[in-house]
Amino acid sequence: MINSLLTATSGLLLAALLSAPAEAAGTGMIFVSTEKGNEVVVLDRDLNVVKRIETSRRPRDMHFNADKTLLYVACGDDDTIDVIDVATLEVVDSIPTGPSPEVFAFSPDEKTMYVSNEEDSRLEAIDMATRVSVQDVPTGAEPEGVLVMPDGKIAYVTSEVADMVHVVDTATGVVTKNILVGTRPRRFVLSPDGSELWVSCELSSEIFIIDTATNEIKGDSLIFVPPGFREEDVTPVGMAVTKDGSKVLVSLGRANNIAVVDAKTHEVIKYILVGRRAWSVDLSADESKAYVANGLSDDITVIDMKTMDPIKSVAVGRVPHSVMIDD
Amino acid sequence: MTKLRLAFLTFTALLMGSAVPAFSADVLVGYVGLKDDLRYHPEVAYTRIEISSALRPVEGARLGFDDLKIVTDAANISVRLDEYDAADANEAIQKVAAMAQAGERFVILDLPGEIVAQVAEATRDLPITLINATAPQDALRDLCLPNLMHAGASDRMISDTYSQFLRHRNWTKVLMLVGKEPRDKEMADAFQASAERLRIEIVDRKEFTTSTDPANREENNTKLITGGKDYDVVYIADSLGEYARYLNYATQLPRPVIGSTGLTASEWHWAWDRDGATQVTLRFQRLAQGGRFMSPQDWSTWIAAKSIATAYAKARSDDPEKIDAYLKGSRFVIDGSKGYRMNFRPWDRQLRMPMVLATSNAVIEPAPFPEFLHQSNELDTLGVDEPESKCKAS
Repeated sequence: MINSLLTATSGLLLAALLSAPAEAAGTGMIFVSTEKGNEVVVLDRDLNVVKRIETSRRPRDMHFNADKTLLYVACGDDDTIDVIDVATLEVVDSIPTGPSPEVFAFSPDEKTMYVSNEEDSRLEAIDMATRVSVQDVPTGAEPEGVLVMPDGKIAYVTSEVADMVHVVDTATGVVTKNILVGTRPRRFVLSPDGSELWVSCELSSEIFIIDTATNEIKGDSLIFVPPGFREEDVTPVGMAVTKDGSKVLVSLGRANNIAVVDAKTHEVIKYILVGRRAWSVDLSADESKAYVANGLSDDITVIDMKTMDPIKSVAVGRVPHSVMIDD
Repeated sequence: MTKLRLAFLTFTALLMGSAVPAFSADVLVGYVGLKDDLRYHPEVAYTRIEISSALRPVEGARLGFDDLKIVTDAANISVRLDEYDAADANEAIQKVAAMAQAGERFVILDLPGEIVAQVAEATRDLPITLINATAPQDALRDLCLPNLMHAGASDRMISDTYSQFLRHRNWTKVLMLVGKEPRDKEMADAFQASAERLRIEIVDRKEFTTSTDPANREENNTKLITGGKDYDVVYIADSLGEYARYLNYATQLPRPVIGSTGLTASEWHWAWDRDGATQVTLRFQRLAQGGRFMSPQDWSTWIAAKSIATAYAKARSDDPEKIDAYLKGSRFVIDGSKGYRMNFRPWDRQLRMPMVLATSNAVIEPAPFPEFLHQSNELDTLGVDEPESKCKAS
């Protein structure tokens, strides 16, 4: 009896221990890149600033590696991608890129990094082992959003000036198709099943949905009219999708709102008022909170995803660009 | 909640040219300038010091087509500029007529205001659309010609930018200084009309002279001409720039100067660093002779060319009439790298746009200012709005 109880307890303990790394791997820290502050601001779970990590100039897009030990930051004015050690919160490395890296994405095996260089209109593929640029794909002017498909075979990149999404065959580095979308296409989000690629078009105030099976535009574009704003005030940029694929969060830029969109019906479930020029948006791993970088009010807004209300705004630094959460 | 809009479903197919036969064409777009255009003479001051080296803005138009080459290529259209510098108004008229004869549908005009008016009147019945890029006169907007569009800002848009700024700062008393050139009076009249509409007080309007004759000292001495009254700010209209050059820090009262010197309103400034503006400035520098900065006129010819190329690529038709209608219509959206979606006003065919107020090396404020609201489009707080316009939307 006692023995079996003990076994059961130790079994539970063991299970708890085993699951611990997956549950609490992250520190809960929130990383915010500030374009004009030249730093990545680190906040703890309680939203206290714990560190300001000085980076190369104009830090913008950020991504973790798969095990979240390293955070990569594209620094546009120094033509590098800085690497931050998440444990020590120090810049430990710097990867040279082409001129003005803005947004980047990793191949699924993390062996290749795809970077949009907005000044020379290229999508550059960098081999992570050798740090050598292995492909240089010409794009329309001002390439921005980059997304690599989960099978690693296709990369998508937007051109803000050409109003296009380029479909790039990663094996050959060749653009296999150009998809004309709305005006000034910015970012992507992929549905968790990989079937739909959403593209934010900043100046025509709409979201286009691309069917990844055919690379054709699927259905009508989505437009937004939050309370107190007009359609043309809406300049969508950042997006985030829930793990079940049911909801997409869209930042509405100058319309100072986040739209929570039903991914199936495309109805707006709620508009959430945040800071000025809401840009990047990221969800916590448990999806209880969303964090929004507000470029013109120099703060981030925390949203409670249960009630879909903004619960707090925290000043971070000059021109917040992206938010990443280590959880 | 969410409204839906028709997507370019069929258009993508058309672009890729699989099911639908691809529309393939060589498109020539006219560009008519003036051989000896005073506006682009380098401003040379005493002892031949070059104080401004305004250059012809044709490179802006070249960049516009260059920027959209990938789009027009994908649509199987090759767009090229047909550049010509006319000796005078008559030659400009003949050239535009010849361009229409040769099948060109759009011509960018880089001409002084009086010649734009003559060309537009003379070619009004031809199947050709003129885009006036560099003449700011409001009188051209009041011609209400269906074939004349305007890609640069009007005098009234520039003036409303100053007036909104003065209201925003609560600097409501203005001393106006105006030169003797007809162009100085045009600019000053536009400013005065705009300022008065926003209840900004003009404490005085004085004419200056550059002569140093002691008999004219009330007009040529910067301290005397700015003395005697109190004001918050000095506005100066000086198209030649020589008097304005010496006005900063030389006023009787320690007051800022706006207009032809100090803080200047225009379509573009190289120091604007938001909305992708820096990339446009850098691309222009790479393309332009001598790597110069992009001027407001360069921006205007750039946006004119970009608008035309966009219309060809996105109109979903190879019918020139439909391309023209698309360019003028409400579905048209163009990005001028100033953060707003822009299109042409249906009444006077003026491009709606945000403006910048800049010193020599920094943009101090963009306009429109947030406190100026409008019932349909905030950009229409700058310039002659539909109810005031002599033209009717069509």
